[in-house]
Amino acid sequence: MNCCPESRGLARRSLLKGLAAGVGLAVVDGPVPGTRYAFGASSPYVGDTLVVLSLRGGFDGLNAIVPVGDPAYLAARPSIGLPERVLIPAGGIFGLHPALAPLKPFWDDGTFGAVHAVGQVNPTRSHFQAMTELERAAPGSSVRTGWLDRTLGLRAPGSVFQGAQVGSTETPLSLSGPAPELTLHTLKDFDVNGAWDATERARWTTALRALHADAPEVIAGPARAALGAVTTAAAITAQTDPAANGAQYPDSTLGAALRDVARLMKQGVGLQVACVDDGDWDMHAGVGAPDDGWMHDNLTDLAQALAAFATDLGSLLGGVTLVTLSEFGRRVGENASGGVDHGHGNAVLLLGGGVAGGKVHGRWPGLDDAHLVDGDLAGTTDHRALLAEILAVRCGQSDVTQIFPGLGPTKPLGIVRHRP
Amino acid sequence: MVVAAPSVLHLLRRATYGPTEESIAQATRLGARAWLERQLAPSGIVDRTTQTLVEQRFPRIGWSIPKVRQYYLSDPGTWAVMYDLGRATVARAIWSERQLHEVMTEFWSNHLNVTSPSSDVWDNRAHYDTVLRTHALGRFDDLLVAATQHPAMQRYLDNASSEASHPNENHGRELLELHTVGIAAGYSETDVKNSARILTGLGVDDDTGLGTFRSDRHFVGPVTVLGFEHPNGTAKGGRSVAADYLRWLARHPATAASIARKLALRFVSDDPSPALVSRLAATYRQHGTAISPVLRQLFTSREFAASAGAKVKRPYEDVVATVRTLGLRPDPKGTKGIEALHWMLSDLGHAPMAWAPPNGYPDIAPAWRSAAGSLARWNAHLNIAARWWPQTLTGPRLTSLVPKPGPATHAGLLDALSRQLIHQTLPAAQKRAICGFLSEPGDVVQPSTPLRADSPAVGRRLPYVVALILDSPLNAVR
Repeated sequence: MNCCPESRGLARRSLLKGLAAGVGLAVVDGPVPGTRYAFGASSPYVGDTLVVLSLRGGFDGLNAIVPVGDPAYLAARPSIGLPERVLIPAGGIFGLHPALAPLKPFWDDGTFGAVHAVGQVNPTRSHFQAMTELERAAPGSSVRTGWLDRTLGLRAPGSVFQGAQVGSTETPLSLSGPAPELTLHTLKDFDVNGAWDATERARWTTALRALHADAPEVIAGPARAALGAVTTAAAITAQTDPAANGAQYPDSTLGAALRDVARLMKQGVGLQVACVDDGDWDMHAGVGAPDDGWMHDNLTDLAQALAAFATDLGSLLGGVTLVTLSEFGRRVGENASGGVDHGHGNAVLLLGGGVAGGKVHGRWPGLDDAHLVDGDLAGTTDHRALLAEILAVRCGQSDVTQIFPGLGPTKPLGIVRHRP
Repeated sequence: MVVAAPSVLHLLRRATYGPTEESIAQATRLGARAWLERQLAPSGIVDRTTQTLVEQRFPRIGWSIPKVRQYYLSDPGTWAVMYDLGRATVARAIWSERQLHEVMTEFWSNHLNVTSPSSDVWDNRAHYDTVLRTHALGRFDDLLVAATQHPAMQRYLDNASSEASHPNENHGRELLELHTVGIAAGYSETDVKNSARILTGLGVDDDTGLGTFRSDRHFVGPVTVLGFEHPNGTAKGGRSVAADYLRWLARHPATAASIARKLALRFVSDDPSPALVSRLAATYRQHGTAISPVLRQLFTSREFAASAGAKVKRPYEDVVATVRTLGLRPDPKGTKGIEALHWMLSDLGHAPMAWAPPNGYPDIAPAWRSAAGSLARWNAHLNIAARWWPQTLTGPRLTSLVPKPGPATHAGLLDALSRQLIHQTLPAAQKRAICGFLSEPGDVVQPSTPLRADSPAVGRRLPYVVALILDSPLNAVR
């Protein structure tokens, strides 16, 4: 895998380390023009739990939500393109990669859908910059916080679980900023190191609480929150077999992370925003066959994890919107290594009770040469517009000017339905 | 053990990565003033052990850019050298005798941030670090010229791909906003454009990886930025226009104020007085952007003296100070223990140079308030103290911290341990908290409880007691 120097780091998630803002790191960095927001609205949050699943490395939306009816598609990808016969019909020119089969029931019942040709206003093919800009979501401004941090900053202060990165202790840039967030690798290991059983845990939490009793709030506040979260996490993980409705999570990092998100939701701990990372999408070489290989295996894990998550949540799925984001899509034409290089326009997957699923949203720009941008699928939907619609329709945030500064009025995409 | 004066401890907590037995003894012997002067002239400090450690165990970070590229001809883009740099930086922070030089190198690597590891700077980031080191206690105008033209910065802020016809404004803008005058200086978008135009032509030679100037890319024509004006009449003269511009920016009163404030934030408090900042800024300007006179003034100021405990430790300062106060030494061979510390810092979100945006790690307490961060900090203390992770560092065992003969009571033990570890004793309530930790049903431990040779506090629970002392809120500030 020597084709792309960055991919090595990505596979080991070290790019993420480079990007990361740190363990629950909240960034306050002086006045930020245009984002002096009123910290903490007074009324409690009513809206969906927003789950942002970051597909790190550059998700190949073209081989996931496949525009097989666009004649230029198979021409551009003679060896790695998926023929129509193997695809799950998805309406119009599109078909789903066969590895997405576990999600077919949700596509059919309208809780799983997609938007295609989503892009950023200033495309770049650098993983690093594209990720930064995707999560900052404030192009052309000096804003240095993340869009989810700004989103949480407009809400009333919530529980320690209000905004969480699950599956990694590293804060994504999207959550970076003054609003506090929790980062946890797994619920199970969110624990005091010396606490090998409940007695020892109580010993530690009691001592640490007493140790911080008279400390200044800047130190005592996070300490109290940490001890509360340790206790909650221990109570949740003490319960056995939490997956409901026969949900079968894949034995993978993604499966474990989504299982923890579902556990937090089922416990009603006040989770409003959850971020989950899924790495290893940087497929410059050896994408593989429709029924075997890198893309197939990754999509299988993704589909199984999402299907288990939706199954596990049951009726709670009605209050969840999950959206996938990736820094860029991949080049339309395949390269000589049976892979695809960094591109631009991409597919976004949507899962949730309020999703207008069962179809591919967005304006399809076409894959013929005249419509490509530098060999890439054009982005016809600004990713901020898509997120703004979810925030407005599902999360009670109709005014997004402070979250996405400079984003003008956008045309409704119809990707989600209003909450009942 | 030398009993340190509060003023000596305060200076060591700020101007170094945390007091050690040796540094306390040295600063006490020399006196604070002479100790500071010695640190301000790092070339006069023999630092052979740490230099040898870095040269032998991280040799690649000393390579030239062409040598890195040549060596990794079949593996271009490797992150190996950048990882080495991060690890070597942790080792230097812990063990270098030139502590203030290390602290200031870190300061500039945040001020002039080039994220490491990141893909575009795989071959040149370690060399960029040597540039920051060279000028860390020198003059800011020299540093700014060297850093701005360096291929690492050229790639990181995109000026390497900027051209006269379509100037990339990223570097031109950050140069004003972050590196020099700051946004409050009131420059316009036209100023930003001109700032970017002045930088056109600077870039990176794709064959050698070295910094270069391509006159065919340089924008020609009059440029003005704030009060800087230049006819910029020839393409060939572009490089010297850029240098003039950078030196002009370095001397700008707004730059002086912003660097003075940043130094005060680093070394004094999260809210330094405008009077102190303006005095430091004046010194900076009077001394032609030289940094040492500013630091000398800062560390001898009344406001500094009154600021003990006013800064909250960030994770990096916390971990490094923990290793230092425990007196741990490098692995007998190899780098496993140092690597573990670096991974720990990555998990804490504070590995050196790893901050992604160009503004560098934040340096005020509210930015680091975090539940997960508190937990990670407690776990780091225990991991390091108990030698669970890293396991391969050497140094004294924890039992050597226990005085012989043993103190009579648990309170006596806690006082002895905390004097050595955090150079102060815990308030009674905190001692009771730790004694509560040591209690068993039917066997309550109180500060007055006699300490026996077989008490768990000096036996199996000693690592936990040490960790809890390090967890004290008193040790969360510096």
